[in-house]
Amino acid sequence: MIEIRNVSKTFHTNGEIKAVDDVSLTVADGEIFGIVGYSGAGKSTLIRMVNQLERCDSGAIFVNGTDMTELKGEELRKKRRKIGMIFQHFDLLWSMSVLENIAFPLKLAGMPKEERFKKASDLAEKLGLKDKINDYPRSLSGGQKQRVAIARALVSDPDILLCDEATSALDPKTTDDILKLLADINKEYGLTILMITHQMETVQKICHRLAVMADGKVIEVGTVSKIFADPQNDLTKKLIQTVDTGLDVAKMAQELKEHYPEGHLLRLSFTQETSGKPLLYEIAKKLDISVNIVSANIKNTQFGPLGVMYIHIEKRVEIAAIISELTNQGVKVEVI
Amino acid sequence: MFSQFIDPFFETVYLTIVPLLFSVLFGSIIGTVIYVTGSRLILQSDKKIFRVINRVADALVNICRSIPYLILIVWLLPVTNFLTGSIIGTKAAVPALVVSATPFFARMVVIAFSEVDKGVIEASLALGGDLKDIIFNVLIRESKPALISSVAVTAINLVSYSAMAGAIGAGGLGFEAFQYGFARRNDELMFIATILIVIIVFAIQIVGDTLAHRTDKR
Ligand SMILES: Nc1ncnc2c1ncn2[C@@H]1O[C@H](COP(=O)(O)OP(=O)(O)OP(=O)(O)O)[C@@H](O)[C@H]1O
Ligand SMILES: [Mg+2]
Repeated sequence: MIEIRNVSKTFHTNGEIKAVDDVSLTVADGEIFGIVGYSGAGKSTLIRMVNQLERCDSGAIFVNGTDMTELKGEELRKKRRKIGMIFQHFDLLWSMSVLENIAFPLKLAGMPKEERFKKASDLAEKLGLKDKINDYPRSLSGGQKQRVAIARALVSDPDILLCDEATSALDPKTTDDILKLLADINKEYGLTILMITHQMETVQKICHRLAVMADGKVIEVGTVSKIFADPQNDLTKKLIQTVDTGLDVAKMAQELKEHYPEGHLLRLSFTQETSGKPLLYEIAKKLDISVNIVSANIKNTQFGPLGVMYIHIEKRVEIAAIISELTNQGVKVEVI
Repeated sequence: MFSQFIDPFFETVYLTIVPLLFSVLFGSIIGTVIYVTGSRLILQSDKKIFRVINRVADALVNICRSIPYLILIVWLLPVTNFLTGSIIGTKAAVPALVVSATPFFARMVVIAFSEVDKGVIEASLALGGDLKDIIFNVLIRESKPALISSVAVTAINLVSYSAMAGAIGAGGLGFEAFQYGFARRNDELMFIATILIVIIVFAIQIVGDTLAHRTDKR
C-alpha cells in the first residue's frame, strides 16, 4: 500500500515552481493506479518522491507502513530495492548485456554472481527474452528494451512497481503488449502498480483507479469506469475526449454535422454495466425507430468494454424518449 | 647509427608511461570528485560543503592546466628534489609531467562522466545503488570507451611534453632531435628521431582506438 499524505515540493532552480502541491493519495495493495495530467503537472516529481529520488518539502509517504521520507542511507536503499521502477527511455546500461542488466539490482544488493544470473535468466525466460540474454541493449527494439527494464525492476521481488511514462516512447502495438504484460504481472504477483502517463488511453486500458493532476494538485480521483463515464472536472473531460478516437471531439462533431445536416446526432458514453447488452437494438425496437451508428470506439478495459459511440437518428423522431431510455440504462447522452 | 636512439627511445617511453600511470590515478580521483560533488542527483543532497569542494577542485584543475609545462618545472623544483632526490635527469622530469597531465586527465574524466545518461544514474539509484555502485558500476563502466580514449590522448600529450623535459636533462627522443639533430645540423638524425616519435604517437592512438572501439557496446 502506498499512502501519500499532504506532500509538497517546490523547485527553486528557475524562479519558484511548486511542482507538487499538497497531494494526498492512497494506492491499495494489488491495485493498478494511474496518474494522468498534462506535461508539467508534477506527475514525475510525485512518483519520484515515492522512492525518494526526489525529497519532499513536507508531508509523508508511507510504503507498506514505512515512512519513506524518514529513511536515509542503507535503510533507504534497502527499501528502494523493494520498489521497482521503469522509465520512458528504459534507462538500461548499454555496457551490460541483457542478462547483466536484469541481474544488476541483485548485484547492487550483493547477491553472488551465479545465483543472480540464475534468477535473472529465469525471469528473462518468463518475459520472452530468453534468446536475447547475451545481446546488448543496442540491438533490442524499444519494446524489448522495456521488457528488459521490467525484468530488471521485478528481479528483486518488489512489492510495488513505479512506471514513469513507461509506454510513451513506444508505438501503439508495442504499447499494448507492454500494458498487457504489466496487467498480467499485476494479476499473477498481486504487484501494486503506480503509473503515470499523459495518455488517458493507457489508463483506460489497464488501471483500476486514477488521479488527474494539474498544476501540482490532484483535481480528481476515482475508479476508471466512474471517471470515464462521468468526469467532473473540465480538464478531465478534455483528457477523456482525446481518447475517443484520438480525434478532437469538437472537430469530430463539426464533421458529423456537415455530413448529417438533418436529424439528431447523439454522443453516447458507455460504462461497464451497459455495454454488454444489445441496448441500442432494444431501444430502437421498442420505440420503432432506426438508429444509425456513425462512429464507435469501444475499448476493453479492466472492467470490460467501455467507450464512446456516435449515433444518428432521423429528424422525425422525438429524441427526448430515446435520451431518457438510454440514461435509465446508465448511458451518458449528449446531443451535438 | 641506430644504437644512439635506443636510450632516448626508452627515455621517451619512460617519460610517457610513468607520468601516465600517476596522472590517470590522480586524475580519475580528482575528476570523480568534481563530477560527483557537482551532481545533486548522485549525492541526493544539496549540502553547501559539496559545492565548495566542487568549486575548489575545479579551480585547482583550471589553474594547473593553464601553467605552461616549462614554468611548472621551475615552480616544482623543490618538490621534485624532495620526491626524486634530484632536480635533473629523467626521473626529475616526472613530477612536473604528472602535475601537468593530471588536471588534463581529470577534465577528460569529468567530460566522459557527463556523457553518461542521467536516466541510467537515476535508475541505478532507484534500484538501490549507493555512491560506490554509481561510480564503479555506472559512471566508469558506461564511459569506458571515452575513458580509454582519454588515456590515449593524455599519453600522446605526455610524449610531446617529454620533449620539453630535455630542458632539465631528461633525455628522450625530442631532446635528441633538438640537441643533436637541430643544433648540430644533422638532418638525418633529426628525421629519424621525429619518425620514432610519430611511430610512438601512432601506436598509442591505434591501441587506444582499438580498445575504445572494442569496449563500446552502444
Ligand atoms: N529538478 C527540477 N528543477 C527545477 N524544476 C523542476 C525540476 N523537476 C521538475 N521541475 C518542474 O516542476 C514541474 C513539474 O515537473 P514534472 O516533471 O513533475 O511534470 P510531469 O507532469 O512529469 O510532466 P511531463 O509529462 O512533461 O513529464 C515542471 O514545471 C518542471 O519544470
Ligand atoms: Mg514526467
